Amino acid sequence: MNYFPDEVIEHVFDFVTSHRDRNSISLVCKSWFKIERYSRQNVFIGNCYATSPERLLRRFPCFKSLTLKGKPHFADFNLVPHGWGGFVQPWIEALARSRVGLEELRLKRMVVTDESLELLSRSFVNFKSLVLVSCEGFSTDGLASIAANCRHLQDLDLQENDIDDHRGQWLSCFPETSTTLVTLNFACLEGETNLVALERLVARSPNLRSLKLNRTVPLEALARLMACAPQIVELGVGSYEDEQDSESCLRLQAAIRKCTSLRSLSGFLEAAPHCLSAFQPVCHNLTSLNLSYAAEINGSHLIRLIEHCKKLQRLWILDSIGDKGLEVVASTCKELQELRVFPTDLHGGGNAAVTEDGLVAISAGCPKLHSILYFCQQMTNEALITVAKNCPNFIRFRLCILEPHKPDHVTSQPLDEGFGAIVQACKNLKRLSVSGLLTDQVFLYIGMFATQLEMLSIAFAGDTDKGMLYVLNGCKKMRKLEIRDSPFGDAALLADVNKYETMRSLWMSSCEVTLGGCKRLAQKAPWLNVEIINENDNNRMEEENGYEGRQKVDKLYLYRTVVGTRVDAPPFVWIL
Amino acid sequence: MEKDGLELEITELRLGLPGRDVTEKMMKKRGFTEMIMTSSGSNSEQCESGAVSSGVDVEKVNDTPAAKTQVVGWPPVCSYRRKNSCKEVSTTKVGLGYVKVSMDGVPYLRKMDLGSSQDYDDLAFALDKLFGFHGIGVALKDGDNCEYVTIYEDKDGDWMLGGDVPWGMFIESCKRLRIMKRSDATGFGLQPRGVDE
Repeated sequence: MNYFPDEVIEHVFDFVTSHRDRNSISLVCKSWFKIERYSRQNVFIGNCYATSPERLLRRFPCFKSLTLKGKPHFADFNLVPHGWGGFVQPWIEALARSRVGLEELRLKRMVVTDESLELLSRSFVNFKSLVLVSCEGFSTDGLASIAANCRHLQDLDLQENDIDDHRGQWLSCFPETSTTLVTLNFACLEGETNLVALERLVARSPNLRSLKLNRTVPLEALARLMACAPQIVELGVGSYEDEQDSESCLRLQAAIRKCTSLRSLSGFLEAAPHCLSAFQPVCHNLTSLNLSYAAEINGSHLIRLIEHCKKLQRLWILDSIGDKGLEVVASTCKELQELRVFPTDLHGGGNAAVTEDGLVAISAGCPKLHSILYFCQQMTNEALITVAKNCPNFIRFRLCILEPHKPDHVTSQPLDEGFGAIVQACKNLKRLSVSGLLTDQVFLYIGMFATQLEMLSIAFAGDTDKGMLYVLNGCKKMRKLEIRDSPFGDAALLADVNKYETMRSLWMSSCEVTLGGCKRLAQKAPWLNVEIINENDNNRMEEENGYEGRQKVDKLYLYRTVVGTRVDAPPFVWIL
Repeated sequence: MEKDGLELEITELRLGLPGRDVTEKMMKKRGFTEMIMTSSGSNSEQCESGAVSSGVDVEKVNDTPAAKTQVVGWPPVCSYRRKNSCKEVSTTKVGLGYVKVSMDGVPYLRKMDLGSSQDYDDLAFALDKLFGFHGIGVALKDGDNCEYVTIYEDKDGDWMLGGDVPWGMFIESCKRLRIMKRSDATGFGLQPRGVDE
């Protein structure tokens, strides 16, 4: 069967980097499976409980980079109680014991401890890259270990983590000999940092491309840092609350003008508008702009900046930009691929800053748009139909109408037709979040047309089990389905148990599934972990045990796994 | 639950299985207020005006149609972002002095200590000094004759005209100040004084 020596095949495999493609080629034949497993460099595990460290090491003995994800997505919205799981410690322990030459670790929604970080920093001589996204459980002491012990560290990228800031000297723990940094992102830290240590670190890191500061780094320091690192490509600015004297501003402007490689700007927590204008000289080259934390800057100042950003590909912004602002984006940013519009007012009410008009304007003006996250107060079917016509290339479409069950504000109809148009037109749609008033009909459309859909988020939608069934039966590529506050119950849950083997996970909270239904599912599908999260009703659930549980389950999370029930579940998690 | 008088009962969240009659469905409905009451302990990380402060909010929900019900984990904004957008609420230290002051046309924000003023006259003087020109403070005392109006955001998030309520009540509830051109103020959505206009 194989006419080429293994080395040649391996060389060919080197060009295949996507983990999905590598998974596919490993299924071709035993020989390819073997060659592939020894040559896999980057391993991606989307659910840390789907497998175990031992199985990972057995299959891929030579990998260099590991990506692990822990908690389900809805944990971002406080729906998963503290202590649920997602601990990285056992993974690091197992890898440390093995002979794996780990160079990169990327974690998302996992619990990381200082102990884990210390162990990590001491166990892998060539460790280069640590990326932590939405993790928790560690402090700046853990960061100090990484800084001190990882001699060849290139990336320390902390995104939106919950870190206990001891306001210590972790930055000073980078040895004077450390000159390899490429990425330093500590924007999510709350406390003051040692500015002198920071400046010296930046000054001795000629390869530094990405620097994202936290809110306590003042303007004067920023100017000095940028002067030390004119090669910077991505900059995350801190916060500037007070009025700045003109001298600081001038120095900042001078430094900015030298940063000719600057392509990405972010940060700006509590920033005053004037510091935005200091960045105008670099706007024409910017490809990524994140102003979604800049609550203090009003729409007109945002617009004045964006008017100059003709090459923007990615824009994250607050809804204070308004429909008018989005029209400016639509006419200026012809290269725009990804747009996220976040709500300023999390509690609804107040002025409706962006409406369906803004969304339509963007869809009409930005031909390359493929990803959108849009929070707004109102929507119409007509607008969605227009958007679908304008933009058939959406890969990700997430619309969040702030008020649950809100109908089309002009016709008072459900938004079924609007979303139906989206899924029908966007043949490559992989991710969808729906909102507003929706009946089973929208799910009929999704099941019929969304053939490439991999992730679907449903909240306050649907009428009967039929809705969920349309999706489960229709969307052959579904991987992650997450549902909250919708009237889907046991009939839908149990209709096709084998479907869950093709999916990563299913989340259902505040729906109509019962304990009895979940137990039946667990019986039929031993290769699934069926978890019930029950914070309040521990005792009540026990009593109902004999009586075939018509007890409603508050939170259900199920996922396929090859390693059975996990052993680290807290008492409020029942694995059936 | 909504305005308009439309027959939206049909479209309300129905958690019963199909085939049950309507009244049973209504009883089974888990209203948003119920959700607030049963919110889990893990939500204590949310900002203070989030779902945990259930007692006050439940009453508000029933009285004020404009006030939005607060549901656990809704809107779906991640907790990191919530914390950072709520920063403003926590740092303005209601009643304890420092509030942010913005003025239309001026590109920077100032912060001032309300506690260092004794009354509206003091505040007027302080505001004038803060922005370096005369005439702002006048609005507080002589409301109708001035180019600017001074408005403030209170604890409930409503914008009120400065100078109406007794000083003590004002500094307790003022979260931030804004000096707005009179011409822009009409139609802004100020809460009505309740007295003469």
